[in-house]
Amino acid sequence: MPTQDAILEMRNITKRFPGVIALDDVTLTVRRGEIHAICGENGAGKSTLMKVLSGVYPHGSYDGDIVFDGAGVKFGGIRQSEDAGIVIVHQELALIPELSIAENIFLGNEQSSKGVIDWVDTNRRARLIMEKVGLIEEPETKIKELGVGKQQLVEIAKALAKNVKLLILDEPTSALNETDSQDLLKLMDGLRSRGITCIMISHKLNEIEQISDSLTVIRDGKSITTMDHESGFNEDSIIKAMVGRSLDSRFPDHEPKIGEVLFKVQDWTVEHPRIPDRLSSKNAAFEVRAGEIVGFAGLMGAGRTELMRSLFGEGYGRKISGKAWVHGKPANLSTVRKAIHAGLAYVPEDRKTLGLNLLDTIKRTTVSAALSKISPRGVVDLFKEYEVAEDYRKRLRTKTSTIDAGVATLSGGNQQKVVLSKWLFTDPQVLILDEPTRGIDVGAKYEIYAIIQQLASQGRAVIVVSSELPELLGLSDRIYTIFEGAITGELPREDATQENLMRLMTSDRHSAAPAA
Amino acid sequence: MNSIKQLFGGNIRQFGMVFALAALIVFFQVATSLKAAGTPWADGNVLIASNVQNIVNGYAYVMVLAIGMVMVIILGHIDLSVGSVAAFVGIVVATASGTWGMPWWVCIVIGLGMGALAGAWQGFWVAYVGIPAFITTLAGMMIFRGVNQIIGKQNTVSVNEDLTFIGGGYMPEVGPITGYNNLTLLLGLLAIAYLIWSTFRKRARSRKAGSTLAPAWVDGVRVALICIVVAFATYLFATGSPGTSFPVVGIVLIVLVALYQFLTSRTVSGRAIYAVGGNRQAARLSGINDKKVDFFVMMNMSMLAAVAGMIFVSRAQASGPLDGTGWELDAIASVFIGGAAVSGGVGTVIGSIIGALVMAVLNNGLQLMSSPQSTTYVVKGLVLLIAVAFDVWSKKQGKPSLIGAMQRTLRGGGSGGPKPTPEQAAAGITVPPIDSTKDAASGK
Amino acid sequence: MRRRKLLTAAAAITAAAALALTGCGRAETGATPGSDGGSAAAAFPADAKIGISLPAKTSENWVLAENLFNKDLSAAGFKPSVQFAGDGGAPTQQQQIDAMITSGVKVLVIGAVDGKQLGTQLANAKAQGVTVIAYDRLLQNSKNVDYYIAYDNEKVGELQGQALLDGLKDRKGKGPYNVELIAGSADDANSKPFFEGAMKVLQPKIDDKTLTVSSGQTSQSQVATQGWDPKNVQQRFESILSANYKGGKKLDGVLSPNDTLARAAMLSAKNAGQSTPVITGQDSEKESVKSIAAGVQYSTINKDTTSLVEKTVGMIKDLQAGKDPATTSTANNGTVDVKTLYLDPVLVTEANVKTAYKNDPDLDAIANGK
Repeated sequence: MPTQDAILEMRNITKRFPGVIALDDVTLTVRRGEIHAICGENGAGKSTLMKVLSGVYPHGSYDGDIVFDGAGVKFGGIRQSEDAGIVIVHQELALIPELSIAENIFLGNEQSSKGVIDWVDTNRRARLIMEKVGLIEEPETKIKELGVGKQQLVEIAKALAKNVKLLILDEPTSALNETDSQDLLKLMDGLRSRGITCIMISHKLNEIEQISDSLTVIRDGKSITTMDHESGFNEDSIIKAMVGRSLDSRFPDHEPKIGEVLFKVQDWTVEHPRIPDRLSSKNAAFEVRAGEIVGFAGLMGAGRTELMRSLFGEGYGRKISGKAWVHGKPANLSTVRKAIHAGLAYVPEDRKTLGLNLLDTIKRTTVSAALSKISPRGVVDLFKEYEVAEDYRKRLRTKTSTIDAGVATLSGGNQQKVVLSKWLFTDPQVLILDEPTRGIDVGAKYEIYAIIQQLASQGRAVIVVSSELPELLGLSDRIYTIFEGAITGELPREDATQENLMRLMTSDRHSAAPAA
Repeated sequence: MNSIKQLFGGNIRQFGMVFALAALIVFFQVATSLKAAGTPWADGNVLIASNVQNIVNGYAYVMVLAIGMVMVIILGHIDLSVGSVAAFVGIVVATASGTWGMPWWVCIVIGLGMGALAGAWQGFWVAYVGIPAFITTLAGMMIFRGVNQIIGKQNTVSVNEDLTFIGGGYMPEVGPITGYNNLTLLLGLLAIAYLIWSTFRKRARSRKAGSTLAPAWVDGVRVALICIVVAFATYLFATGSPGTSFPVVGIVLIVLVALYQFLTSRTVSGRAIYAVGGNRQAARLSGINDKKVDFFVMMNMSMLAAVAGMIFVSRAQASGPLDGTGWELDAIASVFIGGAAVSGGVGTVIGSIIGALVMAVLNNGLQLMSSPQSTTYVVKGLVLLIAVAFDVWSKKQGKPSLIGAMQRTLRGGGSGGPKPTPEQAAAGITVPPIDSTKDAASGK
Repeated sequence: MRRRKLLTAAAAITAAAALALTGCGRAETGATPGSDGGSAAAAFPADAKIGISLPAKTSENWVLAENLFNKDLSAAGFKPSVQFAGDGGAPTQQQQIDAMITSGVKVLVIGAVDGKQLGTQLANAKAQGVTVIAYDRLLQNSKNVDYYIAYDNEKVGELQGQALLDGLKDRKGKGPYNVELIAGSADDANSKPFFEGAMKVLQPKIDDKTLTVSSGQTSQSQVATQGWDPKNVQQRFESILSANYKGGKKLDGVLSPNDTLARAAMLSAKNAGQSTPVITGQDSEKESVKSIAAGVQYSTINKDTTSLVEKTVGMIKDLQAGKDPATTSTANNGTVDVKTLYLDPVLVTEANVKTAYKNDPDLDAIANGK
């Protein structure tokens, strides 16, 4: 590979966090004028790598060298990397809704003389840049009046206004519908023909195949391989590289005892809470049997969480249609309270913001979702509260000196055990676990798996949503895949492999190969 | 060391405030005796019957407001309208009593009703329209002030004699002449008996439940100390000059404090307030109707503001157009001095009452010293700042409390034992089977 | 959580346990024998504490009174304690009076924030044998007021009304005249006699069209100034002037109950491009005396605080000696007739300003341009 036409070389980048090596000797070479994709599972280290590149992690906090545009660079912050011509367009749009397109384009980069903004010049230059990205609007239009697709264009225009040499797009189409996505890909093609180099982080392998010139796969913090048109690549080869890790075998032994259908959902359609005309769940239909652990595989943003939370009665977008049955009886899941009453429990993906009141104690958290059980006439029986919490502490082996300790003092694994305790005390029939082991160390993961399996053995229906395919493969009796809000496949444990799951997770039903 | 921690309770801020309160009392008792050129301590003016009566009578309205305000603040809101709502209810009650000549109990019912209406109005905007409480109650502050002045024609309206016993009345004299107020003595004895009985009952139940018990001497010393305080307070109130004893307002306060302390700490509704204040999202995902909580807490605040307004009107014997100005600030300050957090989720009724008492004793002491009101403002402001700064500082140290930190140091090496392998650890895990929760809940 | 309640309360202990021990051995400190209804208490020590409770430092007279009370009472051998309620309003004044009674004052001189809201304190004072003197503002609806000392406020109003008429004739030529009215705070009992006294003189002239009130605001409730706050006058006048005095219409005169409000009204008139109206005042504030000497503000009232305080201290001396202080009249406070000592107010205009303040070196100097 001729390196003289490389615009960016990141050599032997290693970034350590306390206890974790996030990037391990990563090398990335991007040629001038190409679109270079970076692929990898969630948590593989893509974002960390981009943060190193853009100076969010300043020079000195990582090992290795960065050569940009022919010179070694040592960015101390985002401002410096932007001055050098590297601009990131983030997944979450960073626009100010109340300001105009022109104001947003030149935010932090105002067209001014002696501190006074020249509005005529600002709008004239904004119009020029908007033409480049094909955005046909008045520069004075406020951002909040634009759709997400056009907002994405404003982000890119904003990058162009900064005299960008290397544009990094983080999941640029994840929030867009199909038409907008295609328009964006065309724009990227156009930028390439103007000589702007692009790095594109994406989960959508079909898009990568369609537009990128080369790609680098990152896995477990290591750069695995780089492919280009010469070596050739397609969705299959990318998937293989992405999941090439050997399956983690550290799962407790488990003999499933599967019974009748316990939880059944049909035609479940929910609108996205923020993006109009986008469905976060499209006609979802699935069932879970008593004693069964069912996995839901999907990439981030695929709509897994939205589906589960809408089932749990959380006003997450608007429900359009759908029916659910628990034990064969229609279940009313319109509010959280009713969902709990129907026998559902939902352990959210984000313990700290959704699962726990970090100001509370272990004891009080344990009983908090079913407080009325120990509160005759609305008065909490403190002795029963103590007994219940102590009972769960012992059974789940939550490591703490006392159940009067605050949940904030616990480690991630033990916090998760408290959240599990809280939901087990509601005595759920259907237990939905959203990323149950995120941020938990290996030992605690094993314990959580054991708990999940025991719960299933007791005849409960267990749903596990996870981004970690090995976890799903190790734990589930059956796995559904979700892509863009739709269930795209269903594989029994025996037939599931990381490759065929990944294929179903990254494309819609029609293009997916029929499962074995 | 552990026992000492148990003796004082885990909450360093609350402990600090109780200590500060005691220190303030001692300081002003000595200072006033010295100022009067009398015997140090003995000739002080703080711990005498008429003055403790004045403190209860004169600051009861702040304490009543603090009870409601702490719940609002736990929920993460604020209520700026309490003074105006109190003034609004005050003028209605004064008009009903003084102008229309209604009996006192009808006036109280009307007052509570007005408070409930005002509260439902504000609760509606906060909970169901989603206007921030700051804005809603800022509007309420102006609206209810205006309504007060419309009803009272910007003038002061006097109340009937029969209503004044609430704010200015005392427990009556009954029974044999003992040289003390018999009802006050009875009240004190009942309080002491309850304290001792509840300690025994608690120990008995804890033993049965198998939970860890504080050493007997810890509970013993604690209850003894509290009883001494209660006994001394009883003595002070019972020896007031003829016709005075424990104020009627004091009874109202005790009932309200007991009721709300119980409500916030022991009931499902109380837990809901802390849950929503601590993490609204998580509370919602636990099946709590956060809007309902918002509504009732705001409504409750206005009802307590109504009580405060009536207490004040009854004591002032009239309701004026400027009543209640600045009350919200006293109430809010009391709550924060008493250990609540600006971000919500934290705070106790008892703590807020202690906070209000700190402010009251400070005010009273400085007035006894004839300090100008301007000095009092400065001192009160500094106390608020220092109390909260202390809290922020202790949190920045990463310690939940000073005492907790000492305890951890002592436990020190205990946690460093060999770690079990995941398999070993998991082997022992037993998840309760489906019906086990009932076992646990039923106590065996 | 009973436990926490116990625990927190227990922490008071260190101190309180000690208190209990010393406390028990002590006789009843708080209980002093109440006087049996005689309004003038028996003689008390010549170095007794005297409590002076005043509203707020919103006008110079209250500040002056504070200084004079401190000076005169100390000179007479008493121990004065002067406190202002300030922004705390009625509740703070209540607390301060409670504290004064506790600290053993023998006489309470009260300038009330709100004369109707101190009933409980007055009853308490009576029970403790404290003599109560209402100072400048009458304490209402209570039988426990012993004396009232003040300038005759209805007389003040009459003087102001007459001064307005004289001033208009003197400075604005022939009538009819356009005037506007200002009254004091509705919750201050004095506002009423001020306004009514003035209207006794002005109403006939309004009826015979000599005077026109263009805004139409002529009742006390319409023209009241909440809390005697000048910014309220300013706001009200700004709207009146822009609404009712368009197109060069002149504002000839303003009835103002005191100097602070008068200056606020003059400022509004000036801002609206009006020439200075004939305006009345009261209190002889320094700024206003200066203004009168310069021929701008028309009049003020000299209610010489010096002599009011002097007479009050004289009353206290009489009480100390066991004598019933001399009074000139009685005033009904809604419950009882209170023995009252009225002092006569003096109208000050440009004509007599140079000689009116002989008692007060500061004002005298200002009036004479020194």
